[in-house]
Amino acid sequence: MLSFQTLIYGVLIALAIPDGLPVTPLLATLAEKVPGIFYGLPLVALASLIFAATHHEDPAEIRFATVHWAVWLGGILGTVFVAVVLIGWMA
Amino acid sequence: MTKPTPLPLQRSASRGNFQSGQSRPPIGSRIVAVSPDDGSAIDLRNPALAALLSWCLPGLGQIYQGRTQKGAIFMGAIMATFLIGLWLGGGKVVYASWKPGETRWAFVCQAGAGLVALPAVIQSRHLNGSARQPLLPIAFMAPPLSAGQYVSREYAESLTESDPDIAADDFFDKPPLRQFRGDQLSIWHRRLGKFFEIGTLYTMLAGMLNLLVIFDAWAGPLGTPTDEDRKRHKNATDKNIPTPT
Repeated sequence: MLSFQTLIYGVLIALAIPDGLPVTPLLATLAEKVPGIFYGLPLVALASLIFAATHHEDPAEIRFATVHWAVWLGGILGTVFVAVVLIGWMA
Repeated sequence: MTKPTPLPLQRSASRGNFQSGQSRPPIGSRIVAVSPDDGSAIDLRNPALAALLSWCLPGLGQIYQGRTQKGAIFMGAIMATFLIGLWLGGGKVVYASWKPGETRWAFVCQAGAGLVALPAVIQSRHLNGSARQPLLPIAFMAPPLSAGQYVSREYAESLTESDPDIAADDFFDKPPLRQFRGDQLSIWHRRLGKFFEIGTLYTMLAGMLNLLVIFDAWAGPLGTPTDEDRKRHKNATDKNIPTPT
């Protein structure tokens, strides 16, 4: 357990030592090019997975519920996004 | 997924009154939850300890309860999100600050991720304490310096050497300390741009979702059938009619 914690802290420190993003220049360049809105997609997937896994025990059920939650969350957020874009366009 | 332990369905009186046996559970009986998928019992072992473990390291409580696959899912998903957020934010987005006007409320959510956020508290206490410098030799998870803040000479020199945005003349010499005359938070925002907010969001969400994981370790899966659900299910089974979902 102690060695695992040490490993986690080692990774954290290794990530934080270089200043700013250029920890790995290729990934940093890629991250710069991705539009900000796409950074929300992994969060939707994460929230769906955690919601599903806290409601089920069976892996198959977790997979099914993850897709279910992702569709719902994505749908709601997508609807809000479209509404905001439309309001902005009309204004 | 680990096969749940086949235990009699019992739950402590203070946490759900779930009983399917004819007799009351004996004092000291094991606390179990019920799988919403197949109705099997899940041994929660010591729920409080499991919840604490899940706070310390996401998913560790579930692993302690024998739900290793689920624990691995939680650990991988939440730790990956937290670390990616920390990386996107250049290692600057997780810090604790309780100074008036500069309170870092995001840390309240980030702290939900557990021990991985603990260095921020330690660094903040040491930087604002008598030492005037963080405990760790680097500025990892240390709060940003504000204008007029006093720091130790060692920390000022370390910042000057490691941070390209901070020069030696950004500090007034006030022996035995040095006084910062810039605003480090503004420097971070200027350098990181949108990634400061994105990294903050990732780490906050990781911490908040870990609260669900902690609850799962403490009380079992959400959506566990209630007494009413079981009565309805039993009636439906007795009458041989489909169970309403």
